[in-house]
Order: sequence, then C-alpha cells, then structure tokens
Amino acid sequence: LRRCLISMDMRRMEESFRGIKNAIQAKDTFQNVTILSTSETLHSIKPLDVCCVTKNLLAFYVDRVFKDHQELSPQILRKTSSIANSFLYMQKTLQRCQEQRLCHCRQEAINATRIIHDTYDQLEVRSAAIKSLGELDILLAWIEKNHQGTSAA
Amino acid sequence: VPCVSGGLPKPTNITFLSINMKNILQWNPPQGLQGVEVTYSVQYFIYGQKKWLNKSECRNISRTYCDLSAETSDYERQYYAKAKAIWGTNCSKWAETGRFYPFLETQIGPPEVALTTDGKSISIVLTAPKKWKKNPEESSISLEQIYSNLKYNVSVHNTKSNRTWSQCVTNRTLVFSWLEPDTLYCVLVESFVPGPPRLAQPSEKQCVSTLKDQASTLKVK
Amino acid sequence: DGVAALPAPQNLSVQSTNMKHVLTWSPVVVPEEIIHYSVEYQGEYESLYMSHIWIPSSWCSPTQGPECDITDDITATVPYSLRVRATLDSLTSAWSTLKHPFNRNSTVLTPPGMEITKDGFHLIIKLEDLGPQFEFFVAYWKREPGAKEHVKMVRRGGIPVHLETMEPGAAHCVKVRTFVKAIRRHSAFSQTECVKVQGETLPL
Repeated sequence: LRRCLISMDMRRMEESFRGIKNAIQAKDTFQNVTILSTSETLHSIKPLDVCCVTKNLLAFYVDRVFKDHQELSPQILRKTSSIANSFLYMQKTLQRCQEQRLCHCRQEAINATRIIHDTYDQLEVRSAAIKSLGELDILLAWIEKNHQGTSAA
Repeated sequence: VPCVSGGLPKPTNITFLSINMKNILQWNPPQGLQGVEVTYSVQYFIYGQKKWLNKSECRNISRTYCDLSAETSDYERQYYAKAKAIWGTNCSKWAETGRFYPFLETQIGPPEVALTTDGKSISIVLTAPKKWKKNPEESSISLEQIYSNLKYNVSVHNTKSNRTWSQCVTNRTLVFSWLEPDTLYCVLVESFVPGPPRLAQPSEKQCVSTLKDQASTLKVK
Repeated sequence: DGVAALPAPQNLSVQSTNMKHVLTWSPVVVPEEIIHYSVEYQGEYESLYMSHIWIPSSWCSPTQGPECDITDDITATVPYSLRVRATLDSLTSAWSTLKHPFNRNSTVLTPPGMEITKDGFHLIIKLEDLGPQFEFFVAYWKREPGAKEHVKMVRRGGIPVHLETMEPGAAHCVKVRTFVKAIRRHSAFSQTECVKVQGETLPL
C-alpha cells in the first residue's frame, strides 16, 4: 500500500519551536492536562491512520490554535507565523495525497482527533491555545517519525 | 515535621543531564549558604498526570544530583522535576525544571568502535549506543531501535598528510582500502540523529598504522 | 496630516539566490535628511486567517535601507506579502506593498563550488557551505568508456568528505548539484572536474 509522504521543512519548524518553547511552556500552568500526549491519541496511532491524523492535526492547529493564541510580541509572533505558514504548506502537499486516495479516515483516526478537540474545549480558549503550542514538539516529533522520506506523494 | 517554606533561598540552575536516556537531575546549591549543611529533597511529575511524586532515594540528600532515569524511562512522555533545600526546620521553595522531553533532548553517545587493519586497509566496525537500563540483566535496547534515522559521522585523519576526511554512514561497517603504507591513521566517530540539535559526544580517538611495504604485521596504537 | 507628507518608497522587488532573499526599493530622498524605513511581512496564513496582522521584519524595523535581508522572515514555502514605509522624525509615509507576493520556491539555485583533492588513492570532495537548507547530490565515475556513474548525497558543505577509493592510473571525475528539500528543487550541475592517480605500484 503506497504511503502518503509529505515534504516539509522540519529543521526550520523545530528551530522556530525552540525559539518559543520556554516562553510558551512557562505560561502553561496546567501540567496535569495534555492535549496530544495521552495514550489514546498520538502514541497509539497506527500507520494506516497516520495520513488522516496528520491532516486533522494540521487543520486543528491552522483553524483553531494559531488563531486562538492572539500573540502580540513580535519575537513570538514571528516563530508561530513561521510554523503556521509551514503547516499551511504541508496541508497543500497533503491535498495531493487525498486526491490520490491515500488519506482515508478510519474511525480510530476520527476518535483520536475528537479526543484532542474535546480536551481543547475543556480549557479556557487562550490556555488551550498556549498548551497546544507548547506541545508542538510532540507533534513535530510524531510527524517526523511517521513521515520520514523526502518525496511528496 | 513540615519545614517552614521560603526560609532558605532555592537551589539554582536545575536541569536534566541526559545521555542515552540516562536522566540525571542536577542543580547548584542555593546562593549565600556556603558552609551550611544543606540537604535536598526531590519530586518529579509526569506531564498530563495528576500529581507530583516523591523520589524516595533522593529525600534529605546532601549531593546535588538525583538519578531519575527509571522514573523518566518512557521517553515519549514529558516530565518536570523539582528540588528544594532543607536546613533544620527551614526549607526553600521548590526550584523546578522546564518541561523535559527525553526523546528529543537526550544526548546520543558515541558508538563502540572496533578498528582493525590487515596492513593495507582499515576496517571499522561500529556498535550502536545502548539505551540506559535499570539493571544489567535486562535486555539491551539499541538507540537505533528508538531513532530509525540514527547516523554515524566517521572521520579519518591521515597523520602523514595531515589530512582529515569524513563519511556519513548508516551501516555499521566500512573499509578504507589502498591506504598509504607505513602511515598512522586515526579515527573518530560521532552518532547523530537528524532533527533538533543535540550535544555531540565523539568516540575516543583510535589510531592504527599501516605497514611498511615489505612485512605485514599488525600495529594498533 | 503627517502621514502622507512623506512619499512612499517605490519599485519594491525581491532578489533571491540560494535561499537568501533581499527586498529592495527606491530610496525616498529628502535633502540633508536621513530617512528610515520599516519593513513588515505577512505570510499566506496571516493573509487567509488574520489579515489584520502584519509582522515587523526581523532586521529592518527600522532600517536605513533601501534594502532588507528578509531571509529570516521568509521561513515557509508559501507566498509572502511585503510592505515598506518611510519615516522621518514624526513624518510617516503610506505603506508601499510588493506587487506580487514572494514565494521562496522561486529562488535562483546556482551550481555549488567544490574542491576535489586526493589523499593517496582516496578521492576527497569539499563543497561550498551554503547553509543548513542545502544538501548536495554528488555524481562520480571513472573516466573510461561505459563507466558506471555513482551517486552520493552529502548533507553538509564546508567539510572534506570521502567519495571513493581510486584505482591507480585511472582518472576519476565528479560533478555536483545542490538539493533544497524545503522547496523540493535542485540546481544545475557544476562543471565536471577530474583527478588522476599516478600509476604507482600498488602497496604490497
């Protein structure tokens, strides 16, 4: 079964995240809540569901997290803008996977995505956005691990 | 007996030192307490879980480090740790680390390097670094199993021409043939994982000499 | 009011080579006065989802211009809008916006510089250090009829890399091109360079 390999500038995204990690994670005071790092979400995704979960998570960040964050400091805004625009680019390359029917969404993938949105909704929106931004290293590591390869579909 | 919190300054520079997933919490003593017999207690927190947990082996210790490798061995999780200073009935507030993510932050140690020569060529055999394990009986986990994109940067120094050249490999054996006779070649190897930059630890330098043109005997320095 | 008294910068354009991007514009001239400029940018994400947001450039807010290295601002392979305005004390011009958004995938990729040497029988290549975005696609072969072309990806420039062990008396040739994964493009090949190992007798 052909896999959907999206191309990305992972080095730049990781660099941008390192620029905001301490500042953002320090603002996240709910250490007992995690949005991505639960056993029901990223850790248990099967290879078959990687494309769909990637698509859903990129949409989660692009449509909700970066908008809800409302950052004012230029230093942080530059970094989150860099990641947001990189996610936008990844969405476009993922689009081709969908056109080639390589991005089927099974119930497991839909459930995992719903848990993420539900956890997000249980927090006050700015806190939820800060927590999600602080967990970008988890997402980037998961994407890198599951999308190793240079060519896009 | 609970101590009076805030009566002492906090420990400083509290961080994890992590190599091959051996995760040591370390800190500096509080400032201004030279000569005072201070002890420390440590707690850790698994991000997303419910509460801080005591590290019993690091309760009222006088050293300024604590091995939390066992408690942080699930390298796909994230953790916090904290330490406080105690002196008599006084204690400091907690000094806390940032969020620690072993999978991304552990330093990758060098591979084991076996260097042999038949007099004209060098063969280099690498053994992948191993993940920290609690006790020797446990089966070893190679870091290649955790990082499928683990690579090795092999650099070879020709001491006669004073030239150094390198090669990035993923396989663990390589041979350099047709070397110059009667020449000492020194080899250094570094493991690395593409992704966030990590402190690198090169292997011990090993040298081997090729033979003069006539005889063929092995000389490993 | 003070805003329109100063003319806006004109002729904005971007020159981009090997993933270094420079925004230039025609300077605003006020005799015996020093004009400062401010550069701001908006990625496609901002224009789609937060169109009110313009981000001050990393190095040119303000600058004495009339150019700005925007390499550290253009960090994704999407169209970026760019705008510049002039300021003189309290006077500020209108914004002047780049006519067409800039995408880094339009950068000009030049063949990389390379230095081919040998250390005994070993063919060594040292490539121009163009920065972390660049990988190098090195093709090398023995110069003889029907010779097979070998390929090696080199991840970094600036350090000598071992290519292959050569045979005495034979000439070995090399050409190289860059590859930038972030924009999925490569440069043209460099000139071919060949090196010959004298026909010394083989070491015993």
